[in-house]
Amino acid sequence: MKTYSVVGKSVERTDARIKVTGQAYYAGDLTAPGMLHGKILRSPLAHGRILNIDTSKAKALPGVMAVITGRDFPGIPFGTRPDIRDQLPMPITKVHHFGEGVAAVAAVDEDTAEEALDLIKVDYEELPVVLTAEDALAPGAPLVNEFKNSNIAYASDFMFGDVEKGFKEAYYIKEEKFSSQRVSVGFIEPHACLAQVDSTGRILLQGSKQSPYITWRHMCRALDIPLSKMRIVNPFVGGGFSGKHDPFDVDFAAVRLAQITGRPVKIVLNYDEVLAAYRQRNAMDAKLRIGVKKNGEITALYAENILEGGPISGIGPFNIYYFGAFLNIPYKIPAIEYHGKLVYSNRAPCGTVRGQEIVLAQFCIDSLLHMVGEDLGIDQVELRAINAVPSNWVCANGIVVDVSGLSECIEKASEKIGWKESRKEKKEGRGIGFSCASHPSGPRLGGHFGSAVMLKLLEDGQVIITQGATEIGQGSNTVFCQMAAEELGLPFEYIIQGVSDSDTTIFDSGMFGDRATYWDGNATIAAARDLKKQLAEIVAPSLNAKPEEIEFENKRVFVRGEPARGMDWLQAVRKAYYEKGAPLYGRGNWAALDIDIVDWKTGKGNLVHGLDFIATAIEVAVDRETGQVELIKAVHGDDAGQPINPAMLEGQVNGGSAHMSGHALWEESLYDEKGRVLNYSWRDYKQPTAMDAPEYHVEHIHTHDPYGPFGAKGAGEASSCSTIAAIANGIYDAIGVRIKELPITPEKILKGLKEKEGK
Amino acid sequence: MKQDITLKVNGIEYHLSIEPQRTLVEVLRDTLGLTGTKKSCNEGECGACTVLMDDKPVASCLVLAVSAQGKEITTIEGLAKDTKLHPVQEAFVKKTAIQCGFCTPGMVMVAKAFLAENPKPTPAQVRKAISGNLCRCTGYQQIVDAIMAAAEANT
Amino acid sequence: MFIRRLPKFEYHAPESIEGAINLKLTYGEDGRYIAGGTDLLIAMKKREVTPHHLISLSNIDTLKGISMADDGGIRIGAMTTLGEIERSELVKRYATPLWDAVDVMASTQIRHLATIGGNLCSAVPSADSAPPLIALRAFLKILGPSGEKTVPVENFFKGPKETVLNGEEILTSILIPKVDENSGGCYRKLMRRKAMDLAIVGVAAWIKLDQEKKRCIDARVALGAVAPTPIRVEEVEKRLIGSIIDETSIGEAAKIAGTQCRPITDIRASAEYRCSMVEVFTKRAVLGAMDRIMAG
Repeated sequence: MKTYSVVGKSVERTDARIKVTGQAYYAGDLTAPGMLHGKILRSPLAHGRILNIDTSKAKALPGVMAVITGRDFPGIPFGTRPDIRDQLPMPITKVHHFGEGVAAVAAVDEDTAEEALDLIKVDYEELPVVLTAEDALAPGAPLVNEFKNSNIAYASDFMFGDVEKGFKEAYYIKEEKFSSQRVSVGFIEPHACLAQVDSTGRILLQGSKQSPYITWRHMCRALDIPLSKMRIVNPFVGGGFSGKHDPFDVDFAAVRLAQITGRPVKIVLNYDEVLAAYRQRNAMDAKLRIGVKKNGEITALYAENILEGGPISGIGPFNIYYFGAFLNIPYKIPAIEYHGKLVYSNRAPCGTVRGQEIVLAQFCIDSLLHMVGEDLGIDQVELRAINAVPSNWVCANGIVVDVSGLSECIEKASEKIGWKESRKEKKEGRGIGFSCASHPSGPRLGGHFGSAVMLKLLEDGQVIITQGATEIGQGSNTVFCQMAAEELGLPFEYIIQGVSDSDTTIFDSGMFGDRATYWDGNATIAAARDLKKQLAEIVAPSLNAKPEEIEFENKRVFVRGEPARGMDWLQAVRKAYYEKGAPLYGRGNWAALDIDIVDWKTGKGNLVHGLDFIATAIEVAVDRETGQVELIKAVHGDDAGQPINPAMLEGQVNGGSAHMSGHALWEESLYDEKGRVLNYSWRDYKQPTAMDAPEYHVEHIHTHDPYGPFGAKGAGEASSCSTIAAIANGIYDAIGVRIKELPITPEKILKGLKEKEGK
Repeated sequence: MKQDITLKVNGIEYHLSIEPQRTLVEVLRDTLGLTGTKKSCNEGECGACTVLMDDKPVASCLVLAVSAQGKEITTIEGLAKDTKLHPVQEAFVKKTAIQCGFCTPGMVMVAKAFLAENPKPTPAQVRKAISGNLCRCTGYQQIVDAIMAAAEANT
Repeated sequence: MFIRRLPKFEYHAPESIEGAINLKLTYGEDGRYIAGGTDLLIAMKKREVTPHHLISLSNIDTLKGISMADDGGIRIGAMTTLGEIERSELVKRYATPLWDAVDVMASTQIRHLATIGGNLCSAVPSADSAPPLIALRAFLKILGPSGEKTVPVENFFKGPKETVLNGEEILTSILIPKVDENSGGCYRKLMRRKAMDLAIVGVAAWIKLDQEKKRCIDARVALGAVAPTPIRVEEVEKRLIGSIIDETSIGEAAKIAGTQCRPITDIRASAEYRCSMVEVFTKRAVLGAMDRIMAG
């Protein structure tokens, strides 16, 4: 394998020093001359008809510059796909969930804006609420969205392989139901933005946005303006985890208020608003049936899944799709039948969260697999090794797995956690749980999926890189700088990260699904090659060589095989700048055009490249008296291809795992019978603290992906997918109690123990 | 009614006229422009707004600025000397303890105060010390590693 | 409903207790004492209370500090922060259950603000400092316009967020009696998370053994978060006093504790779970106290 000089090294993050000194400016830190402060009035009801909104008193309050409601927008709906445009900037006829923004105020200061909210009078007619999937699907259920004739937002039915045959061949069949609760996304920075409108009507939005391109398209559509009328500049973003893709009332209100007042408007939410009224993960009710041979080999899988997603579809259709299509990995399953439904409700709107709905699918599959192993007396590690997807594997739906390090992942994880030893001498109340997972390096959800990178060469030899992919903490900027440096033969320090600005950066399809490293990484290489090609053409004549003979390495530009026959990088750059009048820039774009665009109807096709793999082993301790679970240690065997920055990769793996340990054990957004959120404070919504997270170890399994940049795969989300089942299985291993309804609370564990002892 | 107060932040005395209902985090961010101190929950649950008051970490969203008179306030902006980072900051950088960075200032302030009192901590003590600072990105491991490394660098 | 900026108020920071009382007499219902502020300011941000005058007690030096009294007991000024208590060798040694409680309360950045007096006066059912102080037979000194009074901690609470303090009275200090020989105490708290959490159940136990360290001759057990106020459970104490502390007596005492609590079901836990945890944690607190006595 080729040795790299920058790639594969844990170089310092490009933004580390800025962030650690408090100089990183997030949306809430920004100010502008004449800036006003915006606040949003929220619905106390989960479902109600808006009869009247009287804003006159608020408007009359000194210091209030504008008050808006849903009627101040063009009334054009937007949505993730053309067939599911079910969102408005702010509601007009009905409120659909507790805390939905119904009006917004811009005032000279925050206190005045808050005071004005008290003066807005909204008359509602309270409507019956739909809270669960069962409510939503009940005959005669109230309609969450009046323009639909049912509460079913989306449905997918997939059939891969011969399922009937698969179950016939099975030696053992097991069917179980699983459920998962509503969880919040949990980034620490609340939603915030600063909107400005110039005298030509052009908007500048600086917000805490994860995928500015998505925000941009949706906003321009709903505001009925061309894309050119809006510019989006991303400040530092305080985490996303898929909770900051689309525009929210925050963004729309700030823009509209800025349009009306002609002054910059900033809106910064307080975190309780985020917990009450913004993106959560769908609640799930699933049923899975699995067939296996005597040795544990899976022969068939049947899955039903209903996701309850609040009043909008959001990214929900992808969630339904992801759950079904990626049942095909990480285990060899020759036949799969899947029925998925997304339903509307009057709870907070859902998007998705880290790992998307593979997180839920994998919780079900790996829990079920563990149960099968217990029933048949098959070792849990062996069971997974038998079923692990190998390299060059074609899944039942047509996904081609080019390179799989899953077997090594399983081996390393079980070795490091001490699986074999733990079987010999079992400690009281202690257990080890396993789960595997795989996550693709970004699918082609549509034909527009692509990534672009630009490298601007400066006359001092440094290079500024800009790309559509956004840095939200995951470290993508650093990774692209490493790749550009590697490809250009320059030290890491020579690459400077530019700002994400829609006027200058070429936007891409979004920051999600482990796609940035892979897609933008490949675009980075393409851009570097483009720059090298231009530079080679300039220097080749003076070296008496052909441009294609020119190589770039160690800050040198030289003829292949003859390092002495060349010049320093800087000399080459000056040649371009000062002799040829050629300020150069490299451009590159990349899209996985050789894979299939998602077929929403069938779920079939070779949908992705770069499947990353993980095997997670978690040691837990369960207190039999209190039912409390302690996470002792977690080991991840992780195949992300060639790690570009191993230390940052570890941070991603650990972070995803800790995040989902919250989902598994502590976090739940609770609602009362009227749909009001009961725990929209971090005092009561319990994200894991440093004391709750276990000690983490990551074992890198180096593989080389044939399509990935430098052999890398996308990374970071697989550990989210493997963690929940690993914890559930660990608890079973510790005390013999199987919890299939998340979150796994102490009370459920004690109930399980009681039932077990009663038997 | 506004009150005239003197606030000493990062060694500099500021003479301010502020309303008594202003919290310390509001004055630091909105009046003094020291936005390195972050604000998220506004109820003392997340730790993002942590600053040091007489070398002790406090949630600045629960401190009235008028009551901070006569105390030495230290914010994240006051740690590095010119371009030289404080050892805790240096360790956070070197140990890849930073991702989105929003919890970082609060985390660093707590760690600094903690290490001053406990120069040779165990990882468990470090975890307890930072348990009032929520982080969603990292899973805390590299933050713990960084604080341990800063402690070791000191001895 | 949602957290907002603080409402407008006037801020007063008198330097004497008398000064504070006078201000409270002047403003009456419109005035409110503020200690560490970690509860009050949140309540004000949520507009649950909106006093127009805050009378800060933080500039009154006589309300601060931890000292050993002449009789060997400990005096803690009401405005002493939890952070100071956490660092106090006196508390750790002579009021160990209180130290246990402070050690698991909130976060370091809250403990440096919150005061022991504030924690008691907020009078939430889950206040961690109350059960240990009840178990330690502590008294509260209260000063008002009509003079001083002393109230045992167990009689201080009247209901959720309600105490015997009236009008202008100020809790000035907490007096913890001298520790007896062969005695020891312990506070154990059940939380959902391992940190930054309210008690689902909190149990403090204090045990005194005879000279031979065999038989229990005195006991105090108090529960938190399982009734409208922190409560002392005398039935549990009765079961322990006179007994040899062993599995049987502890088990029976714990069972009694489980019947004495009157918890509610809320978002943190069901009443049923709380009752069974009272049993578990009574056992653990008594065992913890015993370990300390045996360790000397």
